[in-house]
Amino acid sequence: MYYLKLIWTFFRIGILNEMAYRVNFYVQLLQSLLNLGTAIAGLAIVFSHTDTLGGWQAVDILALLGVFMFVGGVIGMVINPSMSQLMDDVLRGLFDYTLTKPCDAQFLASISQIRIWRLTDILLGAGVLIAALIYRGLDIGPREALAFAFVLCTGGSIIYSFWLMLATLTFWFLRIENILHIFQSMYEAGRWPIGIYPHWLRYILTFLVPVAFAITVPAEALSGRLTPESMVTSSLLCAILIAFSRWFWKRGLKNYSGASA
Amino acid sequence: MSNIPDITVQNLGKTYEVPQREPGLGAAIKSLVSRTTRDVEAVKNISFDVAPGEIVGFLGPNGAGKTTTLKMLSGLLHPTAGEISVIGHTPYARHKDFLNRITLVMGQRNQLMWDIPVADSFERNRAIYRISHDEYKKTLDELSTLLDLSDLLSKPVRNLSLGERMKCEIAAALLHRPQVLFLDEPTIGLDVTMQRRIRAFLGEYNRRHSATVLLTSHYMADVEALCKRVIIIHHGELLFDGDLNALIERFSPHKTIVVDLETERADLSSYGEVITAEGNSVTLRVPKTKTADVTGKLLANLPVIDLTVEDPPIEEVIEQVFSN
Repeated sequence: MYYLKLIWTFFRIGILNEMAYRVNFYVQLLQSLLNLGTAIAGLAIVFSHTDTLGGWQAVDILALLGVFMFVGGVIGMVINPSMSQLMDDVLRGLFDYTLTKPCDAQFLASISQIRIWRLTDILLGAGVLIAALIYRGLDIGPREALAFAFVLCTGGSIIYSFWLMLATLTFWFLRIENILHIFQSMYEAGRWPIGIYPHWLRYILTFLVPVAFAITVPAEALSGRLTPESMVTSSLLCAILIAFSRWFWKRGLKNYSGASA
Repeated sequence: MSNIPDITVQNLGKTYEVPQREPGLGAAIKSLVSRTTRDVEAVKNISFDVAPGEIVGFLGPNGAGKTTTLKMLSGLLHPTAGEISVIGHTPYARHKDFLNRITLVMGQRNQLMWDIPVADSFERNRAIYRISHDEYKKTLDELSTLLDLSDLLSKPVRNLSLGERMKCEIAAALLHRPQVLFLDEPTIGLDVTMQRRIRAFLGEYNRRHSATVLLTSHYMADVEALCKRVIIIHHGELLFDGDLNALIERFSPHKTIVVDLETERADLSSYGEVITAEGNSVTLRVPKTKTADVTGKLLANLPVIDLTVEDPPIEEVIEQVFSN
């Protein structure tokens, strides 16, 4: 309850922060719409030459695009800004204030910045997803819906833990924001089902930069092609990464409090 | 007031491993691959206690180890040697009860958010510290009155002056009514009026709530106004711990005598070291033990209108301490 209240407080502050720069909202909305437009145009071009792509039909890829935008929105709204803020705070010594608060530092750092205009991506992504489902005739049952929600959560947690681990490196190396940029470009690859990529790239996108679990796997759940193996792997990887990133974070904190001046 | 100290520090030490590299591009590239480090002892074997409700001035030149000590006391840094106990806790364990009862203010680092009104930043702290609405309102009312914040609360931080911002920073740090305050140069960069304002507030806050305060400052006026007791560290070592008056007594072997004469331009160099001579007024520095003797002679031999004996300014004393 305490944590929910805190999330709400930070969300409110996020709104207030962005209200200071209202033009940003329209810019963000325009950008989201443009992104959506080019993405759909891309889909249209591809599917004017072929009926399926790696076994995926146009409408399934549209649903995948919805998931891609939705998850991208969540990353852009909370995860990326908060982690960038963390790096900045560590560099400028402001992280000290986070550490003197009687609240879990990882939690506080993870929600410290909320760019709420990125909600446009989340809402548009959800809209695209729902449109794709309607177009398909709402043929998913409660089992698929549940499986989708489950792997979306585990996939989201995997992405979060991964991002946290990258950001935690800042406790040792201070200036590493470039790593986040690399991740951002890898994320772009997730707008297509990873099955269409060559083997080596598929491997990277699954385990090295786990974009697959956040986008392709949930989209698979919606189109009924989710294998039990994927689901188990996603849950296992989720559990392992959450535990590992937590451990890594604590190591980082120890290093911070051992060495910072 | 109980007899158990709020802060106990025993043989505290902190050694940093500092990356070391030669200047120049070549060395910079080399350091990408292999880093050489050297150890820097920032704090060496420091011990002291602070009683509940006490305000202690923590003095030392830049790089003396003040901030490092304050960070160890507030749980941000692990000591490499010795023991610390603050209100019954080991700070670096960062127990929630401990963190709920202390606060840290760093004059050079802000925690308020830049773009939103001050009151909303306060709201964030209210949520983090789980302060009830009633409690929050009471505390905010009190702080608003003492620091004159009422006009500032609705303004975004970026529209505040440095002094106004510092007042708000201090208020934000006190919303949860901490028992122990660690203040690292809270008046740095402020104009004299604002410094006095903050000083007066800290004194009043300490009286009202019997808060324990450990304060570092480069402004001796802060220390003279607030701290009966001072701790001085230099090169990480404790040089002095005691009464401010005792410090002057011990480290200043001189007194200053200011004499106003009826005649101009009298040469008083035979009585002591002349510091200034302007018109009829002459300022002399004399060894402390000879003060009475010189005063007697001056009064007997010269047409004195007025004569005062003063301790040298505290800045001078501190300088004396560090030069030894």
